[in-house]
Amino acid sequence: MDSAATSLKPEIVLEKMNEYYSQYSANIHRGLYPLSEKATEEYEVAREKIKEFIGAESTQEIIFTSGTTDSINRVAIGWGNEHVSEGDEVVVTEMEHHSNFVPWQQLALRKGAKFKALKVGKDFRIELNSIEETISSKTKILAISLVSNVLGVINPVKEISARAKAINPEILIVVDAAQAVAHMPLNVSGLGVDVVAFSGHKMYGPTGVGVLYVKQKILAELSPSSFGGGMIKEVSLEKSTWADSPEKYEAGTPMVAEAIGLGAAVDFISQIGFEEIERQEKELSEYALKKLKELNWVKIFGPEEMTDRVGVITLMTKSSPHDIADILGRRHQVCVRGGHHCTMPLHHKFEVESGTTRISLSVYNTFEDIDKLIEGLKEAEEILENISHERRSI
Amino acid sequence: MNDDLYKEIILDHYKFPNNHGKVDGGVEADEVNMMCGDKLKISAKIVDGIIVEAKFTGGGCAISMAAVDMLLDFVIGKKMSEVKKMSGAEIEKMLGVELTSSRKKCAYLGLEVLKKLN
Repeated sequence: MDSAATSLKPEIVLEKMNEYYSQYSANIHRGLYPLSEKATEEYEVAREKIKEFIGAESTQEIIFTSGTTDSINRVAIGWGNEHVSEGDEVVVTEMEHHSNFVPWQQLALRKGAKFKALKVGKDFRIELNSIEETISSKTKILAISLVSNVLGVINPVKEISARAKAINPEILIVVDAAQAVAHMPLNVSGLGVDVVAFSGHKMYGPTGVGVLYVKQKILAELSPSSFGGGMIKEVSLEKSTWADSPEKYEAGTPMVAEAIGLGAAVDFISQIGFEEIERQEKELSEYALKKLKELNWVKIFGPEEMTDRVGVITLMTKSSPHDIADILGRRHQVCVRGGHHCTMPLHHKFEVESGTTRISLSVYNTFEDIDKLIEGLKEAEEILENISHERRSI
Repeated sequence: MNDDLYKEIILDHYKFPNNHGKVDGGVEADEVNMMCGDKLKISAKIVDGIIVEAKFTGGGCAISMAAVDMLLDFVIGKKMSEVKKMSGAEIEKMLGVELTSSRKKCAYLGLEVLKKLN
């Protein structure tokens, strides 16, 4: 139950990747022989699938990267370096994963800009009334997750984006959709945002591939951050010119097998359909929340109801998440996450520096999994016997 | 897979530590394992290079807390110079369990802090 960290891979994804490696393992965009043409075609078919999957308007807007973190860093460097100056502002939220927090913080430090965060309220949701207080005409970037990897909340990105653009129409809205893409349909054109980033491996695809969606009109403002073969038009001693997007941003031999695998992951999701995915995951999560609330030594770190929420359920306990995850893993073969989940600012805000235990559900989990989880948690509690930590304060 | 990580002796030290507290007027050092939230502060009285008294405060997982408590049992009366030569392998021997790489960090935390003391 750790799909928020990485999801398991369906056979069609593995088969599709293996097919590339065993039958037409050629480089793309360069060769003229049939195998290379086939590889290029499959790679571009995968790109087209992603475009349809997220509701983008053109394949020029779909750039393959190595993951969400890579995607975001490329924007911080390729757009941020040229559009953020001293005295400007860069805004994130308190619930962001480090990958959508640190690149922006470092950009702000580099440029002498102010780094701010939209607050998370006691209800574990972004305090919407803090938007107008935090964002100003000087704010150049707002980076926000569509779904929190710890709280499980779905943020009202469309509304937040509209309100931010009302304050500064030129603001760049960057969305971390890593936790969203496998669990809910995405329509980037309808969200009113400029950039969306997500990873393949969290949506039943392979590791090593992700997507950077950049709205057409922003592409003109995005500089490549990696240079070399494949992204050039002409190279001479004096200068080089660039190819058009998306090639412009895909220097070097890309992760061909992985992109093709990601295309198969899109097929996998489409075959089930988001209606069914959402229905199943909601039912499972409601069962999990019900069972977890019966354990009086566990507190849910996030909303307790499945409204505007996905099946990422995080627990606050007196016992260390480390021990809990260890016991669940070793003795019950239940895989959950213990620690900060790459959200130290969020954990610091809610004073859970000792970390939390995270369960993340997806379409391949079952009710039996939840029952095993509960059984395991009860045993963990018995072993660790809920020690009061009052006398351990540092 | 080692199933008895949480054996009696470790849980005993975790739940009923011998060395919890503070040494007044002692030297102090602390460390945080930010990856998982284990926090530790050790205070000690060192006379002529020998650890005369040592106590710890902090919070964290059973392994880190048990390991530091057992370590302090061991080092009281010993020379700091000997302690500085101690390795993680000795901590594992003390705990009597095999640790995975992620739990080694927890177990070694106490020794790390102890070595920081002057």
